[in-house]
Order: sequence, then structure tokens, then C-alpha cells
Amino acid sequence: MNIIFREKDIPNIREFDVYVKHDGYKAFEKALRMKPIDVINEVKASNLRGRGGAGFPTGVKWSFIPQSEPIKYVVVNADESETGTFKDRQIMENNPHQLIEGALIAAWAIQATAVYIYLRGEFWDIAHALDKHIEDARQAGYVGENIKGSGWSCEVYTHLGAGAYICGEESALLNSLEGKLGQPRVRPPFPAQKGGGLYSEPTVVNNVETLANVPFIIMNGADEYKKIGTEQSTGTKIFCVSGHVNNPGNFEFPMGEITFRQLIFDHAGGIPDGKQIKAILPSGGSGPIVPATDEILDTPLTYEDLQKHGTILGSASIIILDETVDITWAASKMTKFFKHESCGKCTPCREGTYWLDKVLDRILRGEGKPSDVDLINNIAANMQGVTLCALGDFAANPILATIKHFPNDFMAHVGGELKAAGD
Amino acid sequence: MSDKVKIIIDDIEYEVPAGSNLVDMAKWYADNDIPVFCYHPKMEPVGMCRMCLVEQGSIVKDRETGEVVLDENGNPQVRWFPKLQTACTQIVHDGMVIRTNTEAVKAARENVVEFLLTSHPLDCPICDKGGECPLQNLTMAHGPGTSRMNYDDKMHLDKHVPLGDLIFLDEERCIQCARCIRFQDEIVGDDVLAFHERGRKLQIITNSDPGFDTYFSGNTTDICPVGALTTADFRFGARPWELTEVPSICPHDAAGSNISLSVRLDRDFGGRAMIKRVMPRQNEYVNEIWISDKTRFGHHFTRSEDRLKKPMIKKGGVLTEATWDEAIRFVVDALKAADGSVAAIAGSSTPNEDLWTLRKLVEGLGGGLLGAWTPTHAGADLVAQVGVGKGTNLGDLGQGDAVLIIATDLEEEVPIWRLRLKQAADRGAYLVVANARKTRMDDFASDTVRYDYGQAAHAMQNLDAAIAKKLKEANNLIIVAGAEGLTLDGSRALMQAAANFLIESGHIGKPNNGLLSPFPGANGMGLHYMGFSPEATLQIMQNPPKLLIVNQAELLADDPFAAEWLNKVETIISLNLFPDAVSNMAAAALPIQSFAERDGTFTNGERRVQRFYMAQGPMGEALPAWQVFSQLSEALGQGHAKLSAAAVMKEITENVEAFAGMRYKELARVERQFPDVGGEDLYYGGTAYQNKGGLGVQIETSADKGEAVSVGEVKLPDSPKPKKGQVLVVPVAQLFNRQSTFKPSVLVHPRVPQPYVEINSKDAARMNIKTGDLVEVMMADQIRVTVQAHVNGGAPEGAAVLPRYLTDEATPMVLTVGEIKKV
Ligand SMILES: Cc1cc2nc3c(=O)[nH]c(=O)nc-3n(C[C@H](O)[C@H](O)[C@H](O)COP(=O)(O)O)c2cc1C
Ligand code: SF4
Ligand code: SF4
Ligand code: FES
Repeated sequence: MNIIFREKDIPNIREFDVYVKHDGYKAFEKALRMKPIDVINEVKASNLRGRGGAGFPTGVKWSFIPQSEPIKYVVVNADESETGTFKDRQIMENNPHQLIEGALIAAWAIQATAVYIYLRGEFWDIAHALDKHIEDARQAGYVGENIKGSGWSCEVYTHLGAGAYICGEESALLNSLEGKLGQPRVRPPFPAQKGGGLYSEPTVVNNVETLANVPFIIMNGADEYKKIGTEQSTGTKIFCVSGHVNNPGNFEFPMGEITFRQLIFDHAGGIPDGKQIKAILPSGGSGPIVPATDEILDTPLTYEDLQKHGTILGSASIIILDETVDITWAASKMTKFFKHESCGKCTPCREGTYWLDKVLDRILRGEGKPSDVDLINNIAANMQGVTLCALGDFAANPILATIKHFPNDFMAHVGGELKAAGD
Repeated sequence: MSDKVKIIIDDIEYEVPAGSNLVDMAKWYADNDIPVFCYHPKMEPVGMCRMCLVEQGSIVKDRETGEVVLDENGNPQVRWFPKLQTACTQIVHDGMVIRTNTEAVKAARENVVEFLLTSHPLDCPICDKGGECPLQNLTMAHGPGTSRMNYDDKMHLDKHVPLGDLIFLDEERCIQCARCIRFQDEIVGDDVLAFHERGRKLQIITNSDPGFDTYFSGNTTDICPVGALTTADFRFGARPWELTEVPSICPHDAAGSNISLSVRLDRDFGGRAMIKRVMPRQNEYVNEIWISDKTRFGHHFTRSEDRLKKPMIKKGGVLTEATWDEAIRFVVDALKAADGSVAAIAGSSTPNEDLWTLRKLVEGLGGGLLGAWTPTHAGADLVAQVGVGKGTNLGDLGQGDAVLIIATDLEEEVPIWRLRLKQAADRGAYLVVANARKTRMDDFASDTVRYDYGQAAHAMQNLDAAIAKKLKEANNLIIVAGAEGLTLDGSRALMQAAANFLIESGHIGKPNNGLLSPFPGANGMGLHYMGFSPEATLQIMQNPPKLLIVNQAELLADDPFAAEWLNKVETIISLNLFPDAVSNMAAAALPIQSFAERDGTFTNGERRVQRFYMAQGPMGEALPAWQVFSQLSEALGQGHAKLSAAAVMKEITENVEAFAGMRYKELARVERQFPDVGGEDLYYGGTAYQNKGGLGVQIETSADKGEAVSVGEVKLPDSPKPKKGQVLVVPVAQLFNRQSTFKPSVLVHPRVPQPYVEINSKDAARMNIKTGDLVEVMMADQIRVTVQAHVNGGAPEGAAVLPRYLTDEATPMVLTVGEIKKV
């Protein structure tokens, strides 16, 4: 079932005319006839959760916006920098108007004066294409002054970042959008609050995929939407599968409809060269790794089910590691990523990622001692829960979870005693 | 009640002002020093270093009834945050509960210190900050005893990066707290520092050219919590624990910044006490914890080898070294011979004690004119009547208040006022800047006003109606009126017009209201209270006496026209720090001590009388001027000489009404100041020193006392009018210059501009002059200087702006008609 990847059913839906022919912008027109608060309530009722990683209920987020403020913004988070995530790109390339429409509905719901689509710097070609699609929407009266005679005006802009993972974190994104150094802000005030958003104005920040769900909800109603997925994980989710699979790519499924096993083996073509699957990173580098046990493989893909297994669905950037992978090496790779991407604003993340990397290098060079494994475990633990933004926690996960589940991959490097996994 | 909230810190309840910061409140009320690196009580919190983590919760109240919910033991139930919270980013609220002494908090602190030290070079033994370093102190208090980081794994970075000519960065020591960046951005408004790169590569850089281009750079070295920022002045100069802190007052401008002179007995100074550095000393009324770079780096003149070290008297027409006894006898004879035709001129940084004893000396000889130098700024009498009310604190100005700055370039004249008024504007005060040209203050102004040079008083009287209305209706209004582009008459007219405005709108006689003027020097107001006036100076010029005593006033360096009338004086008795053109003409040239070598007081522009203390060994045989005058008086049979500055001040308190009650003990009084900077916990506010020398006492204005005030009739003077082909040459202040009391600060030389004149682009086009061309400026048909032309939009048409004290030749003190030629 494709709510988002409608290009699979409708060729060329990226073109404005084709999109409109298939009920495009009808949801927006319907929303314009609704009271903004009713739009928010409909999205709330749908239980739509943010697809950017945190899974926060979208309607609730919109309802935080103080309506009395004259200037408000919608910011679309198209920074898509999580390791192994490549879904927002496909949406923007193949079904861009659905994103624009969703963003406009959000803008109407909070009565925003402008929408900013913030794209990672490498997406410059997509930004150019989006500009054209926005222009098409404007020509048809969906963007700009007095939209469809509603008396409400709203602009849509694209903005390119300079290529930093941290600029996907919403407050760093806002700083970057304002032309400042891309470092997270102290919260509260949160983006939705006066003082916390773009140029200090109340701002809704939503992921591309999140907003692309909105037209369906408004068009068909929350009840129809809730029929898809589970109670806590409504709607479809795009799973970005990469790593050791024969057929990597994006797969859209209602949440809960399939398990890891089905996703990996039925859809992503299984593991190449007849190798065994060893581990799964369900949410790129930032979520805890899990061993590919039968129990895990048979877990349905929902927010709540993955949480039960000590990991997260996150943005569902699922990376598969086969038996040939040395998990210590993988931990080092991920650590290098976070070290490179740490903004450096707060101490534990800035110093911790640097230190972890140094010790891991030592371990991989074969110069480590068993106590070095305890050391990195402890460094990572000390980074958790004390940083300014979640990147610090993310950076600890590749160490804590890998050591927990694969202690012997580490012991092999340091000549330590083999241990049982899991504690 | 609404403005107080109850919070619980480590099980004890405190009532604290609503809306305040948790770290500040814990310190002020609970004496609980929550460790911080990035937080600074003068700046917005950023939550970067994570050192201040505490357990935080709030007392649970029943949603419906609002009643406190109790647990099974009958204690209020507390809902704790699942994670530790950064105290520095918390605003206190009713029912807030924090714990700062639990295992989790201790562990968090230890971890943050450990993380910071992983990158730290641990070069404390050669670090300027060692001994007063927040990182050292907090490591001792909270850090782990040993390191788990391999030393070889440390990142090696550049340790000597000049951010500018005055400040060096050690990249290895920086802990990325951004205090320096935020200070420049938030407090100063010179956003010249920034972070470059990210992660562990995050690095402080300067983005200005020249580097670190601001007048306040030194303050960043005080608030830097490590030894990453050091001054070119003090770097590797001494260890903090060898230093003795002596309270003092900046001798350079009307702000009267409270400073601490760090001295030690030094080999380089013959084993005598020597100033190794100048540090700010907290006085929230005056300079808070900030000082300008001129204040910080302008102490070298006190030890200049060019200082006058021995008394000199004229023997056979030649100035010859003499003993003090000889010199005193010589001067006494000269004074007697003058037959009562005696007058005195005192420079504007002459301390009160010297002024008083000088006045007594002159009065004892039958009286004579007491001139204030330079005779450029009128209206000290008006400031005494309607100056800013007693209790004024520029730091209180904000929303609803207003400030008008007219005919002055505060950035160059009184940088600390500029800093504090900029912040007043940030807090919402309505700031109007009026001048004939654009000045730096315009950047922070709500409205700007332009008028023609010479027309300041007229502009003051004819403010745009909307602006005048806003000023009049402000809760509090301060007018800062200078003398740029004015003659002394013009200055008087402006001060009168400003006083009238304040009186009419009722903004006098109360704190944070009234008149201020950037008088040159550190004691412009002291001159007034001790009876010295610029008007008397003009009279002396018109009618020179037989004998003139010149104290700390470089008449010829300041005024090229002075020679004309000085030549008519038979006998000049000169007292100065340096031999100068005046002492060369003098019958006696007597060496006097600088502010650093003696006790004394200055009265700042806000009329605050403040003490400075003896800090440095004397130069040669120099004496404090009060002692010289006092001895002369005794030798003339006018009673016993005073033995101490304190005794002189006692006499002042008995004779000068404004100074009643200002005995040294009173002036030395201190009180606990918020925020509590400079205690043991250097990490909170930085190394600005606690005030142990006194907050000073502010003199009441006539308006404060409810007395009638009289401004006098405003006479708008004629201003010189250039003819076709001529321009008005307007002298303006330049903070970094080649004046005798600043020139010896060699380290600042690269920042002293080459002599230049700023010309309007239309005039420049007419004369075919471009930026960089050498031009000759001819003033009043006789004074000529050759300087570089700047055509940078800094001068209005028909005016040439000529900064003072950049050229070796003296240039006129007030505006003149002149001509400019390309050479
Ligand atoms: C380090 C970090 C990186 C992030 N990167 C992204 C990103 O690339 N794209 C994204 O949509 N959200 C990202 N997020 C999540 C955003 O902060 C934010 O939660 C999200 O944009 C909210 O949108 P949603 O509610 O629609 O998910 C990131 C968060 C963190 C802490
Ligand atoms: S946790 Fe890392 S990325 Fe986030 S603010 Fe701190 S240093 Fe920057
Ligand atoms: S130089 Fe000092 S004040 Fe500036 S960021 Fe580094 S440690 Fe902080
Ligand atoms: S984070 Fe609170 S002091 Fe740095």
C-alpha cells in the first residue's frame, strides 16, 4: 500500500498536472474550507507520529503553536542526514507536490506566514526541482498572496544547508536557517514557543515524510488513516534498507504489517552470497544495534515493538550487517561518523566522541587491553543523558549496544576473556 | 508576593525573586556555588559545558485544588525530571526543587571535568591563568584524581595565535565555552569573534580586520575560564600568586572605572613594586566588571623612562637639577615675587587632593584665577545642579527609559559609558544619538539626529517633535552632552539647552535621570567642585598673570595657540609627569607622582568620588602634587603642611560642601554586589576583582537636594563659517592616540591609527582627493599638519574631522576654519 510513494501507481505524479489530475491539492482545498483548529484536531485524531526519528505526535505539536502570535512558520526538515536514510529524497524527487501540499496544510493549520524547506547541501538538484514545483503550485494559486481567495497568504521557500548532520536537529536547523552557526539551542523555549522558533517566532518543524502523510489524512479523515497500521503506529512507514542485502532500497508498508524477516528476506532480497545475517541497525547509527536473533527477526515493525526490544524505529533506516562484519569495526565506523558530526557545543559529546575514537582505534590496531573495552563502555555511559541535544546520546549507542550484544567481537581484539552477550 | 517565589535547594527553602536565574540565586541566597564554565551572570545562558548539572524537580500540586500533594510521610511530593538538568538554563519558579549534593550530581561533575581534561594540555606550570583558573579550581573541587586519557592521544594545536595585537589564543587550552564570543556579541556589540569548524575541531577565530577589532578585548581574558586568552601585556609576565592587588581608578576618562593594579616587587623595576597588569574591580554602579583596553593597557606611562624624575629650577637661564629643598625655596621666592599676580591651571586628571591644596596655595597668595584644562567642556556647574541623580546606575536603564547622546563620540571618549548605554538600548531603552556625523553609537540607536557642526545647542532646542515627545515621556531620561565641534560658548549653550530640557520634562533630582558630560580626563567634575573652571582658563589666556602654576596640563601639546599668551607669563611653575614644552619654558619644573604611586581621589563624570591607592614605587624623586603645594603653603607661612592624602581629604570635607562626609573611610566602604563576582570561585564571574577598596560616594546634585536650579540664559553662539573652498576642521577624540599618558603603552601602537583626516566625499571629489592621499590641513591660517585623507563617509559636507593626538604637532582644541590641499 503506497500512501507516500504514489509514483509507483501513478507515473509522473511529480508533475503538477498529473498530481492535480489524481486529486492533488484537493486535501489542501478541503483544509482551506475547514477551521484551522479543526485541521489540527483531525491530524491529532489520526495519531500521525513524526517520521524524523522521535515519533512525536504531529497534531499535538501543531497544537502547541500560540495562535495569538501574528508571525508563525512551518519548517520542513529535509536535512536527511541519518546514516542509511534515503526516503525523503525519494519523496521529494518523485512525489514533491504531496510534500508541498502537506506543508501548506500544516501552514494553514497554524496560520503560518511562510514555509521553509531546509535541505541538506548535497540536495541542491532537488532544491532546484522543488523550486520549479513550488512555482507550478503558485501559478495555480496554491502559494502566495490570498491563497484560493482564503484571505490568507503564505510563501514557500527552499533553503540549502552546508552539509552537516547536526543541522537535522531541529534547533540547529533553525540556527542554520537564520544564517548562524549550526548548533542546537537551549530548550525551552521550544520551536513551537515564542522565542524558540525561526527568528524567535513560533515554528512547527516536521520531517518530509511526516508532512507527506497529511494530505491523505485530511482527504480521507483520521478514521480512514487509523485503519492503516497499529493503534500506536498509525499509517505506513517507509523503511530504508541498506547494507548486506541483495535488493536495498525504500519500502513502504503499513506499520505492523511486516516483520524484519519479511522485510529483509521477502522484499530486500535476503543476504548476498548465502551469508548469515548477524546484526541489524534499525535506525542507522543513532539507534541501538540488535543481534539478528529469531526473536528480533520476527518482531513487527512498529514504534512500540522495537521499543520492547531495547531499540528504536527512529527514521527506519535499517542497515543489515552479515556474519563477516566485525562489530568492533562497525562501532568504530559509527563513532567516526559522530565524532565528525558532533557540533562541539557541549562537552561530553565533543570530547567523548573524540576520546572514544582514539580508544577504538587503539583497540582495532591490536594495542588495546581488556580494560579499554570497559573504558569505552564507561565513556559512552557518561555521555548519555547529559548532553544538550540527542546527538550525544546517539553517539553513545554504537558503543553501549555493540558491547552489550557483541562483547566477544571486542574481546577478540584485546585478548580478553570471552563473555556471554546481554549484560 | 508575586515577585517572589519559593525554591528548595538541598532541602532548605529560600524565597527568591521571580524570573531570576537558578545559578545566581543558589549563590546569592544559599551560598551554594554551582560549578559553571560557560555560564556567566552577565550573559544569556547557553548550556554548553554541562558542568552545572543538578537534580531538578517540582513540588506536585493537585490540579484541581492547587494544594500541595503529600507523600506517605507527610512531606510534599516532588516530581523529578528523569535526567539531570543544567542549572544555568533554569529560571526559578515556585515549587522548584533542586539537589546539588547527590551522587548523581557529583558523578556528572566529575565526568564533565574528566571530559574537559582529555583535551587539555595540562600546562598549568607555564600558564598565566594558573593560580586563578576556574578549570584548575573546579578540577580540584570536582574532578577525578587521575586521568584515563592517554596523553599521546591529545590533539595538538597552535598555542600562540594572535587574535589581534593585544590578545593571544592558546588553542589547546580553549574549552569552547563561547564566553569570549558572547561577550563581544551580547555585551559589546562588536561581533568580532566566532567559532570555526565543529566537534573537537571547534576553534575560536576572529573575523575582523585588524583582528579582534574592539576597544574591550581585554575583558575576554578575565572571563575566559582557562588560560586560552591572554593579553600581550601580561603574558608570561608573572604568576598570579606573586601579585598583590591594589584598588585603583582608571586615570584616563570620566567613567572612573574601578580597577585593581596587580603589583609585585620586580627586578625590572629596581626591586620596587611594579604594575604587572591592570584588572577590573567590580563596581556595579560604575563599570560593573568591565574595563576598556585603554584602561587595561594604559598604565605604562607611569613607568616611562621619559618621566620627569628630579626637580629642575632655572639657574642662569638654564633648567638645572635641584634638591626638593632648593626647589621649594626657589618657588616660594618666585611666588612672593609675583605680588599676588598668581593663577593656576590644572589638567583634568589632577586628583582632588592636589586641586584643593593648589587652590589653597593660590588663595593664600591673595587669590587668583583657577583654570581647568582643557577649556573645551563647559557646564560642570550644570552637572552639579542637574546631573544624574544620586544612586544612578546606567545598568538599570531599560524598557520605558530614554537616553539622548549629543555632540560626543562615546566610543572614543568614554568607552565604558558606550558599553553600558548600548546594553541599556538592548534592554529596551529608547536611545537617540545626535551628532553632526555618524559615530559608532549610531549602530545601537533607536533614532539618530544630524545637525550642522556648531549647531548642537540649536539642535537640542529643536528636536524633532516625535523624538522630543518620546524623550519627555520616558520614565527615566539621561542626556549625555559632549562638546564635539563646539567652542566653549557652544558647549555651554548645549549644556544649558540640555539642562533646560531635563528640567522641563521633570527628569532631574532622581536616580537614572539628569545630565552627564564626557569631560576629558579622570577628574573633570573634581575640577569644578574644587573651584577650577574653563572660563577662568579663558580669562587667564586673555589676561596672563605674572606667575602661572601649571599642574599636569600640557598646554602646548594640547593647544598650538597657547604659546602666544604663555610667552606673556613671567614665571611658569610647572608640575608634570613628563618634561614637556611647558616645563621647558618654566622657571621650575617639578616631578609629580602618577595615580599609581600615591593615594588620592577622582570625581567621575557621574560625580562619584572614588579612592585610588598607592600601588607602585615612585619614579625618581617625584612627589604627589598635593604634598608639593602643601609644603609651599607651609613655607609661605600658611600653616602646617598636610602629612597624608587622607588629611587633605579631611580638610576638603570640612571646606567643600559637596564633599561633606567623604572622609577616606567613607569612600572605602563596600557592600555585597550582585552578581557576586571576584570571590574565591573565579569560575562564576571571571577574574574581575572583588571590590575591597570602596565603591565611592556620589555627590548629590542641587536637584537631588530639592534646591532651586538656575541654568542661565542660553546664548546661541556664532560658529565659525568657512568660505568657499574652505572647510570646518573639527577636532574629535580618538581613544588610542599618542598622548603622553598613552604613548608609552607600546603594545597598543599597532592599533593607534596613522594620523588622518576624514573628509566628506563631495569635498574630496571637489579637491580631487582619495582615501590614502597625503593632504595638508591648514587651520586658522597658521597651523599645518600633513596627514592621510580618509574618505569613508565619516564627515559631513564642508567639515573635515581631525582626530586629536595622532600627529606630533599640536592641533587646535576647538573647531577652526581651514583648508585642505593634496601634497
Ligand atoms: C542529531 C539529530 C539529527 C537529526 N536529523 C534529522 C534529519 O536529518 N531529518 C529529520 O527529519 N529529523 C532529524 N532529526 C529530528 C529533528 O530534530 C526533529 O525531531 C524532527 O525534524 C521533527 O519532525 P517530525 O516530528 O516530523 O519527526 C534529528 C535529530 C537529531 C538529534
Ligand atoms: S550533543 Fe553533540 S551535537 Fe548535540 S549540542 Fe552537544 S556537542 Fe553538539
Ligand atoms: S577562548 Fe576562553 S572564553 Fe573563549 S571559548 Fe575558549 S575557553 Fe571560552
Ligand atoms: S552548561 Fe550550565 S554552566 Fe555550562
